[in-house]
Amino acid sequence: MWTMIVKEFRQLKRDRRTLALLIVLPVLLLVVFGYAARFDVSKVTTVVVGPQAEAVAGHLRAPFDLVEIDRNGDRSLAASRLQDGTAVVGVVTGPTQIVALMDGTQLFAVEAAESALAHMAQAAKANGAAVPAIAVQILYNPNLTTSWIMIPGLTGLILLFIGTLITSLGIVRERQTGTIEQLAVMPFRPWDVIIGKIVPYLLLAALDLIAIVLIGMVLFGVPFAGNVATFALGALLFLLVTLGMGVLVSTVSQNQGQAIQLAIMFVVPQILLSGLIFPVSSMAGGVQWIAYVLPLKYFIDISRGVMLKATPLTALWGPLVVLAGMAVIVLGLAVLRFRRDLAPSARRGRTAEAGSKAVAA
Amino acid sequence: MIALAETRNVTMRFGSFAAVDSVDLSVGVGEVVGLLGANGAGKTTVIRLLLGLVRPSQGEVSLFGAPPSMATRRRIGYVPQTLGLYDDLTVQENWTFTASAFDSTRIALPPSISDARDRLVGTLPLGLQRRVAFAVAFSHQPELLVLDEPTSGVGPLSRARLWQDIRDSAEHGTGVLVTTHNMEEAEQCDRLAVMAGGHVVAEGTVAEVIGDRHVVEARCDSWQDAFSVLDAEGLIVQVQGDVLRVPASPQHVEEVLTRHHLRADVATVPANLEEAFVSIVSAGALR
Repeated sequence: MWTMIVKEFRQLKRDRRTLALLIVLPVLLLVVFGYAARFDVSKVTTVVVGPQAEAVAGHLRAPFDLVEIDRNGDRSLAASRLQDGTAVVGVVTGPTQIVALMDGTQLFAVEAAESALAHMAQAAKANGAAVPAIAVQILYNPNLTTSWIMIPGLTGLILLFIGTLITSLGIVRERQTGTIEQLAVMPFRPWDVIIGKIVPYLLLAALDLIAIVLIGMVLFGVPFAGNVATFALGALLFLLVTLGMGVLVSTVSQNQGQAIQLAIMFVVPQILLSGLIFPVSSMAGGVQWIAYVLPLKYFIDISRGVMLKATPLTALWGPLVVLAGMAVIVLGLAVLRFRRDLAPSARRGRTAEAGSKAVAA
Repeated sequence: MIALAETRNVTMRFGSFAAVDSVDLSVGVGEVVGLLGANGAGKTTVIRLLLGLVRPSQGEVSLFGAPPSMATRRRIGYVPQTLGLYDDLTVQENWTFTASAFDSTRIALPPSISDARDRLVGTLPLGLQRRVAFAVAFSHQPELLVLDEPTSGVGPLSRARLWQDIRDSAEHGTGVLVTTHNMEEAEQCDRLAVMAGGHVVAEGTVAEVIGDRHVVEARCDSWQDAFSVLDAEGLIVQVQGDVLRVPASPQHVEEVLTRHHLRADVATVPANLEEAFVSIVSAGALR
């Protein structure tokens, strides 16, 4: 038994990826659940418009974070700020009544805002102070249905899963079975092989995406309020990033087990830190930046924006540009590395590692 | 003879390690050239160099008179040790994929493998898989066939069939470069290049490689005892029936056996290819 234990530790010591998975993942989970896994929202971005804007704004305390006060603005201005994500709450003041428009796609922020308004009213009543009555109107997801929020995010998760995990497995299988060497001596240009490998997964992911959206609409009544082309553009850019990650994972994996391990390391942080489950705004500052380097965060912004809020292309240029940038960098790196596997004649054998591989082959 | 594939003074270094060192090799039209060597001798690296999978650190590689390129790939058929077939595709699907890649879709599946056309390659016996790999590699009628250990792991019947296919191809003018460490196979080649430690240490026909090497045949009453004492003396001893073959001088063999009170009839006979190979490689390893 002791012999087995020693042997197992020796193997484990040399299997750095498994060690990384054993160490990195628990640390990540600790960080996530310690700092990021928070449903309580301490800041709710708010705009106040209309003739009584300044007066009403004066009554708003935390968690309301006033980002704009415009006495010349009207309901349409407040609504547009909610639609483009600048604010979660838009308080529209009129001569006789005040309405707080709330972005129903931000479940926890809306709950925090509603609770704060109720608390304000209760405190004013107790003190006998004159505080204006504010009616609440929830837009985009009036019943605050959780599935409406989750399904647009899940579409991203599915694209991430297919793009990263399935693609990397498909490419690594070529290496593991030795067929990648056969491809390298066939009259294919490296681009033929790269595009030929990626396109089927792109189509498969597109079909999956359509199926999930349709099922979400039929079974859960999730609306698709926005422009399909904008959604498709966002999905395409995000998919290019995930396919690039898949190819990158495959270029540094010798077998499917390694590819799965690495893909898990790519996928798990995105599930936990992209805003799919926990609101990014409620994460601790030290963790929040991680969300901003994860592509899923930007796709969720796009999918929730388009499906639920009909956010126009012009209001989504930020996440679209970030995804496009990520796609260029990640896919570019992936293609360069994959090309090296397919056209190794471009380099001379210099490294001892390559040498041992060639000799062993 | 026109060289279909040629390496001139080719060296392939990985850091300070030379996997292939100053190798000259050529394969002509209709010629079957065997690259013979132990594991790690540099055979596969030579093949990878010829295919353009790696670039030499020094020297020149040419295929059909030009450096390896996209154009030369169309004229080559290659069967790697791993066969290069897709296990989860049928024989017909593998055939179609390769034929399509080489724009040779009009050529039909050969009768020798057509019975298995609808079977997944992964479910076929290894011998048949190798036949399929060979047929697929030959589907575009290449001028040069490169076969890396083509009969590794297959039975005698499948091996004989594969070699029949190789000889048939050569008779039709295809040049064949085949790596092997099987001496029976090596004897079927028109020409051999023996590699050891990255060098070509001998080349020529089988007879030329063997040269004037001789071994001692010893016949004695108890070959087991004779084997033990000769082996203990550090000699390389092969047993053929009850005859011992030793690459040493007859005097030395007689002296060892006599010292151990063993009587034997000792005669000098020409070495076979395996004995010549062991002798060449042993000398090569000392270089």
